[in-house]
Parts: sequence; structure tokens; C-alpha cells
Amino acid sequence: MLNAKIPAGPLNTKWENYKGHCKLVNPANKRNLEIIVIGTGLAGASAAASLGELGYKVKAFCFQDSPRRAHSIAAQGGINAAKNYQNDGDSVYRLFYDTVKGGDYRAREANVHRLAEVSGNIIDQCVAQGVPFAREYGGLLSNRSFGGTQVQRTFYAAGQTGQQLLLGAYSALERQVALGNVTMYSRHEMLDIVKIDGKARGIIARDLISGKLERHFGHAVLICSGGYGNVFYLSTNAMGSNVTAAWKATQNGAFFANPCFTQIHPTCIPVSGDHQSKLTLMSESLRNDGRIWVPKKKDDNRKASDIPEDERDYYLERRYPAFGNLVPRDVASRAAKERCDAGYGVGTSKQAVYLDFAAAIERYGTIEASKRQMHGVSKEEIIKLGKEVVAEKYGNLFDMYAKITGENPYETPMRIYPAVHYTMGGLWVDYELQTTVPGLYSLGEANFSDHGANRLGASALMQGLADGYFVIPYTIGNYLADEIRTKAIPTDHPAFAEAESKVRDRIAKLMSIKGTKSVDYFHKKLGKIMWDKCGMARNEQGLKEAIEEIKALRADFYKDVRIPGDANEFNPELEKAGRVADFLELGELMCIDALNRRESCGGHFREESQTEEGEAKRDDENFSYVAAWEYKGPSDYVLHKEELVFEEVKPTQRSYK
Amino acid sequence: MKWSQFFNTSIGKKLLVGATGFFLCSFVLVHLAGNLQLLYKDGGKAFNTYAQFMGHNGLIQFLAWGLKIVIVLHAFIALQLTIRNRAARPVKYQVNPGNQTSSWFSRQMAIMGSILLIFIVVHLAQLWAPFHYAEMPTQSYEGVSEPIKDLYSVTYALFQNPLWVILYVVGMIALSFHLIHGFKSAFQTFGLNHSKYNGLINFIGLWLFGIAIPVAFAAIPVVIYLNK
Amino acid sequence: MEHYNMNLTLKVWRQKNKNDQGRFETLQAKNISSEMSFLEMFDVVNEELINEGKEPIAFDHDCREGICGMCSMHINGRAHGPWEGTTTCQLHMRAFKDGDTIVVEPWRAGAFPVLKDLTVDRSAFDRIIEAGGYVSVNTGNAQDANNIPVEKHKADLAFAAAACIGCGACVAACKNSSAMLFVSAKVSQLALLPQGHPERRTRALNMVAQMDKEGFGSCTNTGACEAECPKEISLTNIARLNREFINAGFTSEK
Repeated sequence: MLNAKIPAGPLNTKWENYKGHCKLVNPANKRNLEIIVIGTGLAGASAAASLGELGYKVKAFCFQDSPRRAHSIAAQGGINAAKNYQNDGDSVYRLFYDTVKGGDYRAREANVHRLAEVSGNIIDQCVAQGVPFAREYGGLLSNRSFGGTQVQRTFYAAGQTGQQLLLGAYSALERQVALGNVTMYSRHEMLDIVKIDGKARGIIARDLISGKLERHFGHAVLICSGGYGNVFYLSTNAMGSNVTAAWKATQNGAFFANPCFTQIHPTCIPVSGDHQSKLTLMSESLRNDGRIWVPKKKDDNRKASDIPEDERDYYLERRYPAFGNLVPRDVASRAAKERCDAGYGVGTSKQAVYLDFAAAIERYGTIEASKRQMHGVSKEEIIKLGKEVVAEKYGNLFDMYAKITGENPYETPMRIYPAVHYTMGGLWVDYELQTTVPGLYSLGEANFSDHGANRLGASALMQGLADGYFVIPYTIGNYLADEIRTKAIPTDHPAFAEAESKVRDRIAKLMSIKGTKSVDYFHKKLGKIMWDKCGMARNEQGLKEAIEEIKALRADFYKDVRIPGDANEFNPELEKAGRVADFLELGELMCIDALNRRESCGGHFREESQTEEGEAKRDDENFSYVAAWEYKGPSDYVLHKEELVFEEVKPTQRSYK
Repeated sequence: MKWSQFFNTSIGKKLLVGATGFFLCSFVLVHLAGNLQLLYKDGGKAFNTYAQFMGHNGLIQFLAWGLKIVIVLHAFIALQLTIRNRAARPVKYQVNPGNQTSSWFSRQMAIMGSILLIFIVVHLAQLWAPFHYAEMPTQSYEGVSEPIKDLYSVTYALFQNPLWVILYVVGMIALSFHLIHGFKSAFQTFGLNHSKYNGLINFIGLWLFGIAIPVAFAAIPVVIYLNK
Repeated sequence: MEHYNMNLTLKVWRQKNKNDQGRFETLQAKNISSEMSFLEMFDVVNEELINEGKEPIAFDHDCREGICGMCSMHINGRAHGPWEGTTTCQLHMRAFKDGDTIVVEPWRAGAFPVLKDLTVDRSAFDRIIEAGGYVSVNTGNAQDANNIPVEKHKADLAFAAAACIGCGACVAACKNSSAMLFVSAKVSQLALLPQGHPERRTRALNMVAQMDKEGFGSCTNTGACEAECPKEISLTNIARLNREFINAGFTSEK
């Protein structure tokens, strides 16, 4: 049984208590302590900046050309915080409660409560940095409700909240770079962890431009490398998003928790063909006004506008009258898949449903006409007014849709389909965000801790920044206080040499295959297996097949992959190959985990575990635990459980009927 | 930041170019007002007395030398910036966007400025230098105490040659194109970009400095030539 | 929207590394769907190159949804190609027709040296931000967010400036390779907000000094940067930077 080191005492005093009693490092000693940060998204950049400010010597690494490009930048909707600025009854407890419930009772209470506690500080910090959040005419911050919550607690900057928050953290990071507290290594990829006497003591990184391998020492290593949604090949993740850093940690003894917990976002632009390289999210906010439907007739090939009202099936409104189009992400996604699988899908691929704004346009047009005291206006005029209102609310999203599809969403309904968006699973961490390897930490999407089996909208940004700004600066001190006598270990230590030669061999092995198929060929194949058998719905047979197929694909990869060019130069194909090699192992583990968890919860839907109406059915008696997997070798994993104890929140079955 | 550093930055240098540019714009206005007297059919009395005054007034002469320094400064700093700007792109594009992304005028500042500079040198050599440093026929007018230099007739003689007329017209075309962008650009450099004033600035830049003034200047040699 | 397939001729800049001279290579892209994005067309070409045993074309890209700022191609003379307000990754092949020849070049600027093929080094932008593109506020220093009211109009302007994705299209599009639009976007964002005021003078002076040091050209107000900016950052920001710089230069005591 795993020990999460949760502080004793009532839930709402745990963090306060911890902060009051954790060990501190004095400023003179901080100067001699080195910390390595992998990844510069919200979690990594905020951690590197904050630790630099405290006086630690920080080295930050990212594979992109600049820390500002990390994929946190693409988050659209917003960031939650229990500020209760709107006087609508929000509180730390409610944010905590919503997050635990939204995660379908598979998150750790103490971590989530801490997250809710520091959520307000995040907003304060970001505003102080100059993040331009949306404001009201009175000059104060604006909030919106997001993801079906009953309070308005989401802070936002148009549809670019992630970008603005990341640029805030990036500017704080660059300030520390200028001050000499942080050394930035862009276009570097971490390829292994160096462990000495059981503790994480450094990394091996590859300079992606020169191809040279480098050794870097650190008293502690922070993995802030984001999620692994790209195991599906097609996802809303950036092309470069990968699991490599987290996977190297796993191979070095860090447990990987709940790998099968994947979030499939219901509103993405559908795949248009085999050439598709990534999927684009259309913000969840569109479901506030759009109505989702498919034709009532199977294989209906008429244009959307030719299908009369009574031949349309507004299936979410039909199935979930209480929540309608606003059901949580996992529910909406499964319902879309169900309709398409049953043969009611639309578009050339038949793998899409309509998101229709016609009703909203008419409704807003009517309201606008009466606002302007216009009487006896024609339908055309009402529609024109309505389109203006919709353009004001969602204009940038509609433009993006039009650019990608070439269709005008003001005239014809959008086609949407679910796509992989976020991974709740990740490196197992305790309350201090430390993995099972001493000195090795994991922050943000890369860890598993706060979202259980399903993440609520606007909570990912909150978690990344909470971990980096307000948690790790305290918890890492508790570890490093005992390390002040450890002098920087020279990188000619045998452990470094050994790790480097391991990496060198791995690269040489990949380069020497000289097969016939590109890396993308294998990645696409893996993605298809994962999507078909470990995607929105999973069953025992499919998962078992997937495991075998992945093993076979992996074997084929090591026989037949072709990587052009040289290892000692800028070689994007080699980078991809390394990442896909890791995905080929992780994919198998995800299936193993999904197979093990014979219950449905959140984003994980086991067909064997559903109610009569086809809704997800949790099994608290047998599966109220975190599944943390220990890597023993390829295809060899040992399950460790962390029992989930709910002291404050009583798990119930979610219902949106 | 010390002044020496400030005016050595790219923006600092542009401020100098802009400031000298504004000064030159004001000169162009005054110069035109004086020169239009060439078109009076008074045997050159108005123009020659004006020239006499301008040529011998201490303050004007001081400003006139200042003007020449300003021209040199304007050209010199602009040249410095241009060299730097060219160096900022050591490898050129094979395909350029042409007028798709910027106006043609805005890209020809250095060329037009160079033509203008050549014009100014020729112009000074032809009219200013002889007036100050060489013998020139004189003319007596009623109410003027002594005979004064007859720059009026020298100018008329000059513009009997169509080649000189063409050179002066080309010079004024260069002035026009230079100012169509230059005038409003200087405002932007000084940070004056405001929706309430941009219309006026653009109007003056285009119609007064870009068109009216160069056309009026160019009209002088043309009219003189056509009336011969 | 009718979809169609097309065959294209690509003239792409190939350069082995920083020290290589580089040259154009002509390639055929066959059976390209009008539904592909420009980068997906490159994926197809690269797949073909790999299958032929040749080296694929190196280009920067990551999010492929127009926000990370990594993609950077100069397409037929236009930074990010022919569509306005669009990054290369969001440009779709509908913009082209069968038989077209497309010339693809890297961003060209001395301050953005080519690393390989279409990939350039834009770390100069990071160093400019290091020179002052931040508010000096340590984690934990902040007061309650609503203690700092900001006039909505100014907040909106600050947001519009902050939308910059740092892709470098402004530099690529400018005939002088000037980085003024990039620098002005950051200076404007922080000058418009009260949080940025304590450091506004040193910020303007230091960021401009760093910009010059990196070897970017100066601004001649041609407006090409604004025309090509995928986030449509306004030239008024450059005017504001000039004001900030003048004010700082004339009033700073050091």
C-alpha cells in the first residue's frame, strides 16, 4: 500500500499545518542547491521562476525553441478560482467538492482541497504579473460559468486564457534567467534520469540542434512535461507533446498512476482525412448556446439545412433533459460516439454530429430587436441581428472553424466530434508532489493527483500553476533541507556515465534499424489501436487484443522503422522516434490499467460496467483506489494501490437526467 | 541612459531623422512661399528684393547654414539606419511581397531621399552658390536704394533649357513621394498615432506636403519654360 | 465547400546547418487535398522523402492551432502565406490551386539565423523579454487581484497587445528585419496596466537597447509587420513604444 504522506488533522487545516511545520532551507544554503525542471509550461515555468526567486540554482529544459511555446499556451476557456467575487455562494469548499465530484471520486481529497485553497492566490499572482484578464466596466475582474458549474468562478482572457497565463509565467521565468538564478536550455530534450544512491541526482539531455548528449546535475529533478494524449496520435495536444520525460522517470522507478484516465473532449473539429495531423478544440463554451443533433434517419445524406426540424434528433436533450447540451465532457462524448456508431453520424466521414446555432441566432436576434425597440421586423433582420450577437460571443472560434473546414458556421451547423484532450493519469506523487523516487517530483498534467477520472473545465490551468507557484516552493524545501550537506556531484560520476551510455545506445539502436517505414506510420497505427480499443469505450476483449497488437507493433517498430539523417545533428525524425518508442510502451500500460479497472468512472468507460440506460457505473467497493504501476521491464508491470479515503465527500453516482 | 546612448539607439536615431524632417518640411513651406514670387510679372522686383533680404539678413543666414547642416544630418543618419537595416537581412528573400503588405512609397524613402539630395546639390550649385560667391548681373528697381543681384533673370535663363526643367520636375516628384510617407511616418516615430488626429495628419501629409507643395514647386520651372 | 485534389511544385529552401550555404530544392507534391493544412501538405511531402530514403524538410511547428508561435514559413513572399491573420499551421490548401508553384523560405533576418532548412533560431526574442518584458513581482508578493482596478478599455488594449505569439512574422515581413512590433506589443501591454508602471521607463530603454544589440533593423513605419501579424497586433503599439521610449529617455536620471 502506498503512503501519500497526507498530513494529519481536519481537511481544511492540513495545508496550513504542513506549511507551518515543514523544514526550511536558509537562504545561504539555497544558493548551493541545484534544481532541474523539465518542461516550461504552466507548471514548469511557474516552478522554475518561483524556485529561482527563492534563491535556488535552477536549470530549466524545454524541447521547443522557447519556453513560451509550451502547450499550456493553447488552453482556451479559463482558470477556476474560489474567489467568490460574484457573491454567488462560491467557496474553497465548493470548488474542492465540485472537483472531487467532477473527477468521479477518484482523486485524493487532501490534494484537491489544497488546490482549492491556493486557487485565489493564483489569480492574485497572475494579475500582479500583468496578465490581462477580462474585466467589467467598473475595472474589476470578470467571471463566467464554465463546464456546467453553478457558480461563476472562471477567470478568462477571451479564448486565450492559457496563452496569457503562460506568458505571465514565462515572463517571471525570463526575469529569473536575466538575474542569473535560472539557466534556460531550450531545444533540449531530457532522455534519462540519473540516480545516485536511490535518489534522483540529474539528467541526461540531448541538445536537439547539435545532437550532443549533456549531463546535468541537480539535487532534485522536477518533471513538468505535461500529458500523454499524443499516444492516440490524433489529439488536441501539440505535435511535440510527449511522455518521454515521465516515461524515463517510470523506467527509473517512479510509479505511473491511473494511466487509462483520458479525457475525450466532445467538441472538436472532426477528422477530414488520412492526412490529419492533429485535432482542434472548439471551446466548451459553445455548448452554452449550440444545440447538438443528428438526423433521425440512418445514413441520411441530405444537407443539414434540408433536414426538417421533426426529423432531427437532439439526442442530448432527449437523453438528459435536466442538463441537456451541458452534460459533462465524458457524457457528451460517449453520447456522440453512440449515435455515430449506430449509423447516424453526419458529414463525409459519418464520424461527426451537428452543433447548431440557428436557434441561438434567432433567440439572440429577437432579444436584440426588442432591446433596440424594433417592431415588426422581418425574420431576415432578426437573423442578421442574431448573427452579430453570436459573432461577438464566439467570433474567434467561428473564424477558426471556417479557416479549418472552409464552411461558414453562421450558415450551416458546425460538425464536431470528440477528441483526446487531456490525460488525468500521470506520475504517482504523494502530498508533496514527490514520486516514488526520492528527489524526483512531478507537477501539473504530468502527475496524476487532482482530477481523478475526469477533469472539469478550467481546472487544468489552476492545477499547473498551483503546483508550480504555491506547492512545490514549500514541499521541495522539506526534502532539500536534508540535502544541504550534499555537494554538487561532478558529472563524471559513474552514474552519469552509465546513464549517458544507456541513452547513447538507445539512440544508436534506433538509428541502426534503417527499416522501411516512417516513425509517423507507427505512431498512426498505435493511435488507431488506442482510439479503437482504449478510447471512449473499452471492453475486456478489445483491451486484450490491443495489448497484443501494441506488442506486435512495437516489435515491428524496432525492426522496420526508418530514421533518416544522423544522430549528431538536428534530426526531428529521431526525436519523434524516441517519443513514439516510449508511447509504444505507455500505450500497453494504459490498456493494462484499463483492463484492470473493471468499473466505469469519469472518462474511463468499461462497457461491462454500465447501468441499464447505458450510463457509467462506478464500483467503489472494489476500485476506490489509485492504480500506481511499477515498471519492471517492457510488458512487465506491478500494481500498487493507494486507497482513496473520503472523509468529507460522500461518493454518489453521478446523474444528469 | 545618457543622451549619447539615447540618440545612438535605433529609435533615438529615428527621432533625429524625424525631427530634422519636420524642420525641413517647415523650410519647404517657407521656400515655396518665396519662390512663388518668381511667377510675378514684375520684372523680378519682388523676388529679387526678397532674395536680397534673405541673402543678407544675419538671422536668416544663420538659419540657412543650420538648414544645410540639418539636411546633411538628416541624410547622414538616414543613411546610417539604411545601412544597418540592409545588414539586418544578410540573405534576401527570393520572393518579395511587393505592395501586398506595405505601400510602395514607404519602401522608397532611401531612393527618393537620394534623388532629392542629388537635386539639392545641383540646385545649390546652380543658384545658391553663384548668388553668394560669384558675379551676377544686377538690376535696379524703383524704391530700392542700390542695384541688386538679378537672380530672377538667372533663374529664367536656366529654365529655358528643357533638361533642367525635367531635372527639377523629377526632383519634385522625389519630394512628393518622400513626403507622402515621410510626413506621417515622422508623427508615428514621435508616438503620435491617435484615431482622432490620424485623419488630419494623413490629409496634410498627402495633400499638402505630398501633392500641393511639390506640384507648386514643379510648376515654377514648367511655367517659366512654357512662357518663354 | 467543394474539396479538390491538386499537384503542386514546391521550391523549398534546404540548408544542412547554420554553416551551410543553402539552396533551393524543387519538389513535387502530388495529390494534395484542399482540406489539408499547409503543414499537413509538408507532412505528406516529408513522408514521401523518407520513403525515398531522402532527408525530410526540417521545419518548426508544434500546436498546429495558431497559438504557440512556433511555425514560421515565408510562403510565396508572404510571412505565414497569403491569408491574413493566420499562422502557417492554420493556412489551408484551399488557398492554392492545381499546378501552382509555391516558394517556401525560412524567416530571413540576421538576428534569426537558419538552423536547418526552414528552422530558424529566435532566441533573440527571449533575450529581449529578459531585458525587461516582465513585472518584477515574486511569487506570493501579490495583493488581492481586485485591489487593482483597470479601466476596461485599457485592459482590452493590453490584451490585444498581449495576444502576440512571438512567432517573428513581423521581423520576417519587415524590409528592415525590425522587431519593433514584437517589442512594442510587450511594452504596450505592461505600459497600459498599472502593474507595469513602476518599471515602465527602464523597461522601454532596456528592451530597445537589447533589440538593437540583437541586430534587428529599425522601423520605417511601412506597416508590413501589422499586415502580416497572425494576431493582428496594431501599429499603434509601435507609436506607444516610441512614446514610452522618448519619455524614458528624456526623464530617466541615469
